[in-house]
Amino acid sequence: MIRESYRQKSDTELVKSSLEGDKQAFSEIVKRYQGMVARTVKAMLGDSVFSEDIGQDVFIKLYYSLSGFRGEAKLSTYIQKIAVNLTLNEIKRRKRFFSTFSQKGNNEMYEFEIADHDTEEKKDARELVGKALKKLDPKFRVIVVMRMLQGYSTKETAEILDIPIGTVLSRLSRAQEQMRIILEKM
Amino acid sequence: MEISELKALIVRSLDSNGDPGEASRLLEEAGVSYSFGAGFQDKVLERIASTGNAIVREMESVRNLNNIFYRIALSGVAAIVILLISIFMMQGSLSVDAFLGLGSSYDESLLYLLTGN
Repeated sequence: MIRESYRQKSDTELVKSSLEGDKQAFSEIVKRYQGMVARTVKAMLGDSVFSEDIGQDVFIKLYYSLSGFRGEAKLSTYIQKIAVNLTLNEIKRRKRFFSTFSQKGNNEMYEFEIADHDTEEKKDARELVGKALKKLDPKFRVIVVMRMLQGYSTKETAEILDIPIGTVLSRLSRAQEQMRIILEKM
Repeated sequence: MEISELKALIVRSLDSNGDPGEASRLLEEAGVSYSFGAGFQDKVLERIASTGNAIVREMESVRNLNNIFYRIALSGVAAIVILLISIFMMQGSLSVDAFLGLGSSYDESLLYLLTGN
């Protein structure tokens, strides 16, 4: 019953209640947006337990920055921005780590965890997308994830990544070309 | 969905004139979906509670340090005041000479002390 009342609340109401210390309200925000965050984080970093930690970090950062949320943008956009920033930082951190400790240098530790309950067809689909994304440069990968998996428009992608629309369009075009080449080889 | 169809869908989804919403929906139906493990919400709330406790502990230790600093500073100020009062009572003034203990010394006796003649 209580759960149901939270489900019916708007994002603004949930943010207000969370700021007043209502943990259930914040839990509802997590529930509402965890799928969206999982798509960004797991598609960018690979499907592993480390990605889940980054996912948790996204919501922890959101919790402590809620007072800075002025409601000018949608809450989903605000959360997506945090997810993208933390994910890109993690990619940079991993690259630094591997360039220091590995001879191979550009290894990113992108992993796959294919769920057992999936059908063969679904497993193949996930594997194909995962492998293709891994081969893309992170600055193109993030554009592909926003477009292909999150379904954001060019304008929304520009707003989330804080870059001009023209840059999104040119990166999208180059990402499409790279993706075509990658998929042809697979 | 056949792999060839999936590949075509991926490339088509990146077309700037296409409908990104439809492509993401079709990909999800094909099995390209991502989710966190069971109990994700609870783990987030637990971590928030533990980081909250850590912040409270940090604030307490900063407050304790501030208290210690104030006590040391107050003791120092009290010691300086007592020193000034005692100098004033002994030398009758708070001049530089009085501070150096030279307030009641005469030049001759000082020369005697320094030269030994």
